[in-house]
Amino acid sequence: MTQQDYKNNTAVRKRRVYMRKKICRFCADKKLHIDYKDVKTLRYFISERGKILSARITGVCAKHQRRLTSAIKYARHMALLPFTSSHALSD
Amino acid sequence: MQLKHYETLYLMHPGMSEDDRSAFTKRLQDIITQSGGQVVLCDPWPLQRLAYKVQRQTQGYYVLLEYGAPANIIADITRELRLNDQVLKFLTIKHGDKFDAEAILKAKQAASTGGVEQLETAPEITATEEAQS
Repeated sequence: MTQQDYKNNTAVRKRRVYMRKKICRFCADKKLHIDYKDVKTLRYFISERGKILSARITGVCAKHQRRLTSAIKYARHMALLPFTSSHALSD
Repeated sequence: MQLKHYETLYLMHPGMSEDDRSAFTKRLQDIITQSGGQVVLCDPWPLQRLAYKVQRQTQGYYVLLEYGAPANIIADITRELRLNDQVLKFLTIKHGDKFDAEAILKAKQAASTGGVEQLETAPEITATEEAQS
């Protein structure tokens, strides 16, 4: 019994080490608008391969992640952002 | 007819001459204004590299139109964009059901001059006079 308690304690302690509070950029700065034409900002939220990064990694809140996702997809449709890096222009 | 706030971005062939491009943009603007709509912003972007090849083209001219128009005119604009084979891509987005040209222009000015405030509240002002004109 006591040993299990000890185990639980370490688990909690370990988890705490990895927890870091991230702040949603778009909540912190109300002026910042999510716009599919704003490629510079959107590039921050896609990986090198062109995949959309998860909110867990970027720290964006759920509401803004939904908007970001659609903005990135609009931008891809308009050839402002790549679908994948393998289609990138070679020249 | 009630005007709604729309935005259209389209991508044109890099081989198109400047006259052709402006003529086509003018044509779209005419469609909007003839239906009682109003163009708030017409912004042709310089020649830009694309993220991937579109119809074997690696570059293209984007044009951004922001306007208020009755809903039924969107079909005409879409048709015009589809029929022109020099248009590689296009996208129309509705910003809101209400269109107030003055509020939009004011918000734009505030944004461009580094103004901090009220981008959020501006579109909520209702347009009664504009809609009837």
